[in-house]
Parts: sequence; structure tokens; C-alpha cells
Amino acid sequence: MGLINDNPENPFKEAIPGSPAFITSIDKVVNWARSNSLWPLTFGTSCCAIEVMMAAGAAHHDLARFGAEVARPSPRQADLLVIAGTIVKRMEPLLKTLYDQMAEPKYVIATGACAISGGPFIYDSYTTIRGAHEVIPVDVYVPGCPPRPEAFFYGLLTLQKMIIEGQTIAKPFERRKPVLSVLPPRIKLEQIRDELVKNLTARSVTDLNQNPKELGL
Amino acid sequence: MVTLNDRISCHTPNQDGTTTQEYFINMGPQHPSTHGVLRLILKMDGETVNDIIPVLGYIHRGIEKKAEAVGYRQQVHLTDRLDYLCALMNNWAVSAAIEKALNLEVNDRIQTVRTIIAELQRIQSHQLWWGVFGMDLGAFTPFLYGFRDREKITEIFEKTMGARLTMNYFQPGGMMYDIHPDFVKDIKEFIKYFRPILKEYEDLFSGNIIVQERLKNVGIIDAQTALAYGATGPVLRASGMPLDLRKMQPYGAYSKVNFTVPVGTVGDSWDRYQVRIQEMYQSLLIIEQLIDNIPDGPHMTMKYAAKIKPPAGRYYTQMETARGIFGTFFVSDGNDRPYRMHFRTPNFNNLWSILKMAPGGRVADLVAILSSIDLVVPDMDR
Amino acid sequence: MSQTIESFKLLLENAFSEPLTYLEASQLLTIKVQENQLFATLKTLKETLKFDALIDHAGVDWPNENKIELIYILFSTHHNQQIMVSADIDRNQPTPPSVSSLWAIAEWQEREVFDLLGVTYKNHPDLRRLFLEDNWVGSPLRKDYKDDFILERPW
Repeated sequence: MGLINDNPENPFKEAIPGSPAFITSIDKVVNWARSNSLWPLTFGTSCCAIEVMMAAGAAHHDLARFGAEVARPSPRQADLLVIAGTIVKRMEPLLKTLYDQMAEPKYVIATGACAISGGPFIYDSYTTIRGAHEVIPVDVYVPGCPPRPEAFFYGLLTLQKMIIEGQTIAKPFERRKPVLSVLPPRIKLEQIRDELVKNLTARSVTDLNQNPKELGL
Repeated sequence: MVTLNDRISCHTPNQDGTTTQEYFINMGPQHPSTHGVLRLILKMDGETVNDIIPVLGYIHRGIEKKAEAVGYRQQVHLTDRLDYLCALMNNWAVSAAIEKALNLEVNDRIQTVRTIIAELQRIQSHQLWWGVFGMDLGAFTPFLYGFRDREKITEIFEKTMGARLTMNYFQPGGMMYDIHPDFVKDIKEFIKYFRPILKEYEDLFSGNIIVQERLKNVGIIDAQTALAYGATGPVLRASGMPLDLRKMQPYGAYSKVNFTVPVGTVGDSWDRYQVRIQEMYQSLLIIEQLIDNIPDGPHMTMKYAAKIKPPAGRYYTQMETARGIFGTFFVSDGNDRPYRMHFRTPNFNNLWSILKMAPGGRVADLVAILSSIDLVVPDMDR
Repeated sequence: MSQTIESFKLLLENAFSEPLTYLEASQLLTIKVQENQLFATLKTLKETLKFDALIDHAGVDWPNENKIELIYILFSTHHNQQIMVSADIDRNQPTPPSVSSLWAIAEWQEREVFDLLGVTYKNHPDLRRLFLEDNWVGSPLRKDYKDDFILERPW
């Protein structure tokens, strides 16, 4: 079979005649076009598929705003693989095949805790692969269990930014280091944590500062 | 052990003396109409499906093994990831199992709120099914309509529970938080909004001649066969057997409300469709009867303690989720972790009735049948 | 419930010629049977007492007592009653009879138990692994299952 798993040799190794300025401006146009017309593959294994593929794609959130609404069932026609859900040992070779079948340039977004690290099933599970990066290279991680559609949009925008800044025609197979799309710049993790503690103490019987000995544990 | 080649018969004589050869076709695991990673090997003769061999395990995460390693409170969080479209009903089932094991009575407020939320989730689950069902039959509009309205329930849930899909809201002994102050108002608004919309669903989709032609007399199964093949929930009720635990073994606040169990007559895909649509009307009725008189009381009857230790023994509790009977069987040896935890999941048991529904039909019918059973694959594989 | 537990017990005992053993440490009404009585008991329950649905079938591994406990949870739509049947089988050579001739769903529920606990059923039409690959070694739900892959929780 003709599957090449390593990066094939760069056909543009020799310098392309013409001024670098010309190439750079073509790069810009091509990258802009690529970033705004990502075609995702419909590949959802578990819970994240509902939030990321379906709720994000439906009318309320509307993935079409970001040019990524053309979901394709065939990997040959897609250039964005959204890993939405847990990957288990039995699925591993199939995921690899799906990825290999996609045409370059191709991008991978791993959504949800399971695809990032194995999530709730990282310990004591005999089948769950601990992160999709053990199988295929990943460009953007979107945390959450499952991530909200908004979080997925943020991951998609991160990927678009990566495409615009990153790949060039001269280096089509070059991949950048994976990025964790976390929080928009103005929100700090501490803020979220404080809000959570406030909610927990105000609305629940749970006392976060309690002494376990008083409860007789 | 039977191999695939044993299952194929190479020469089926036709009426005119010619012979055709059966062949296998592989559907899934990556296939848009299997709703996840279900794989079906179809034995075909031309366009006709002769036999189906389901292959599972593409999302088998070993939840039952995992459950033996975590405490009783954490079981609730694992059940969210089984059938994520009925996450709250699964939460309830496992919480109720632990409560029964501890001989813990929960108050009326908890029971009523649980019932309302479970019925809301039943509507939500059926909305998603309706949208995806339309998409599988080639219509994109139901998908957009279904999700538009599903989002309204998701927002009600999010206000109270802080999550959209995997809520972990029902805990052993009660609920994690009390309900949001807007809870009652939001639900009343939703009912007012959704009742005419549900009528619109029917006008848009049920009355369509193409839909009816594709569903009527497709995938017929009779009640006794369906029951023997493990089907429960709407799949079984569409065949005419009114097996609904909400009526037969009432739990929660179901004994206080009036509702009917929609039952089909023929047991084809059209009946399964109709049963689910009627169930949405019934769920609205149930919520309407309960929403105005939620009793007062605390939302948690158990003292906060990290470790729950049920007395040693075997426990089984079951509930009716949107897809059928969800059962929790666990063996306790007196420790803070279950000795063995087993989930009786509706989808795993519902799947096998396609072996009786699909053979003899066409591949396009198989897609309609699969969609009418409403499968969630992670619930099947666990 | 249409009948009380007592009247149902009476109905049960009338159907069997031998006295029944009940398992006390159980929430549902549970009958304890020997392995050689298993098929006959389930057949009587299905045919005489009209337990028409096999709701669930599971196995529990007890390595200290060298046994695997098989659990059958039956439901009767006629009586609206539920019953659990428990049978202990040998852990080293678990060869109970298959009940897939009584309830069709047992075929796949038994395949699951075979896959995860290594119970080889006699007279099963198609005993293959269900969730794991065919070349998988071991039965993951047995308590002594060891695997290079599993990560223990470090705390």
C-alpha cells in the first residue's frame, strides 16, 4: 500500500526562483484561504461529539460563522480531524488510517479530556489510550469534559491563527508544536476558581474548609 | 467458533436458474449514520441485507473495571459518560441504588425535582433523536429545529447545574445544589414555547409522504421477539407491550401524576417514531402537573461525607431512561468501594433486535431502522 | 407490584418440586442454585412462571473462595415481578450451560461475560469475544488481572 507515515520529502527543497517577497505574499493569501475553509471530518466517538460536532454545528451556535460547517463523512474530502471522544486500543489503528487517508495539509484538533490525556479513564482502565497524541500528531487541544461549543470555537480560532502564521508553501509538511487553547487572555484561571469556590460554599452543604476528623471519617 | 466465511453461502439459486453470490460489506466504525463507532458487517445479496453481524468494542473503556477502583460517590460521574443523552437519569439510577442500599429515604422535594428534571431530559433526548433521525433520512431541517429547541433545555440545566451535557447533578442522598431561583419560571416558559413547536415538528416531518413511505412497514418486530431479544423502552413499546417502569414500578414522583404510556401496534419504524413523539407530549404533561407544587425542604438528606459504606450484599435498582431500562447491579463487601459494579445499559440490549428487523430489507432501510432504535454507542460498549 | 413478596414466594415454591434456597444478602428476591440445577431452574422460571425477559446477566469474581458467581436478573411482564438467580461455578473451569435457547438476548450477555470474565458457556451458538480483540490475553474483570497497560492511581 502506498501509505507514507513519515513526512515525505519536501518537493520545494530547491529555492523557488523569484523574489522572497513574492512567495511571502502568496503564502499569506493561501494561508488565509486555508484557515477560513476548514472541512471537518465527522468523527465522534463519545460525549464530545454531541457538543463539539452537533451542538456547535447546529443553528444556535453556528459553526458556519467560522467557515468550518462543511462536515465530510469521507477522510479524503476533509482537512480537519476533530477527535471528539475517547480513543481506545481497538480504535487506535482505525484512527491512524483515517489520519493517513486525509490529504495534506491536514490539521488535528483534540477535544475533551479523553482525547488530551485519557481523562476520567486515565487510571484503572485497560483499553483507553492516554491522549490522541500517542496515535497521531495533534495541533490544538481543547480542554473540557466535554468542552462547550464556545470553547471549541476558541480552539478553532487558535488553529486558524496557527495556520495564518505558520505553514508556508515552501514548507508544506512542517508542523508546529501543539497548542492548548485555554482561556481568552482577559480571563484568569484564578477568577474561575474563586467563582467556583464561592458557588460551592454559597449553594451547597459542602464545606470546603471543614475538618474531616469532625465528620468522623 | 464460527468464522465469517462460514456465514456466507456462495450460491443462492434464483427463480430463473441463475445464481448470485452473497458478499460482505462493512459499515462503520466511522460512519455518519451509526452515531458513533458502531461497526456492522452486512451480509448482502445484491441490495438486500441478509444478515447483520454487529462488532462492538470500538469505545469499550472498561468502565466496570474502573468503577471497582473508585468510591460510591464517584460512580455518579462514570454514569454520565455511559449514555450521555440521559446523563441525569443515569445519575438518578445509580444514586437511587446507593440510597436503597443505605436504606435512605429522600424527601419529597428531591423526588419531585428529580422527576421534573428526568422528564425534561427525556424531552431533550428525544429532540436530539428527532433531529438526527431527520438527518439520517436526508432532511437537514429537523436537525436545526431539534437543536434549536434542545438548546433551551440545555440552558435551563446549565443555570441549575453548571454543565451542559455531563451534569453529575443527582448525588446519593439528594442533589448537589438546590435548584436555581429561575428554575420554575424557565420551565413554564419552555412548556409554553415547546407545545406548539412539537405540533410543528409533526406538521413538518410526520405528515411528509416521503418520511411515511420510508418508515411504514420497515423493520417490523413483534413484542415477544423484541422482549426476548432484550429490547426495552420505546423500541419495545412500539411493538405493543406497555412495559414502562414509570407505570409498573413507580419511583420518584411518578405515582402522583397522571400520564399514559404511548404504545404502538405494528412495531415498525413508524411506530417507534410515533411513540417517541407522543412521549414528548406525555413528558410535558408530567412536568406541568409537578412544576407548580414543588415541596419545600432541604436538597440533600445525607451529611457530607466522602466515604459511603453500604452493608455487604447484592443490590439491583432499575429505572426507565429515554431508551429503556437502565439497571445498576452492584456487590458490596462493606468497603468504601464497590466489589463489583455492573450497569445494565438499554442500548446494549436494544441493539440486537436489528438482527430481526433488518434482514430482508435494503441498505437504505437499515439506516432508517438503526436511527429508529436510537442508539448511543458508548452506552453499549461501556 | 401486583402481588406481595409472600404470595409470590408461594407461587414460586409451588412451581418447584425441591425446596428453594434464598440468598439473604440481596435486595431483590434471590434464589441460590447449584450449577447442575441452573438450566432446569431457569427453564421452569421461564416456562411455568412466565419470566419472559432476561433483564441482565453478569458475573462476579470471588478469587478467595475460588468461584465465579453468575447473576441472572429476570423480569415477568405477567406478574410484574423481578427475581434474581445466583449460581456459583468453579473459577478454574467455568463451564455453565448457556441459556440462549431460552432468551435470545442471553447470547450476547453471555458473550460479554465470556469476554470480561472468561466463562466458557456450553452449547453457546457463537462464543467469541465481544468488546476486546480476539487475540486479547486474560479476562479484565477478574480480580487478579494484570496488564502492562493499566496505570494504577498513584494516590
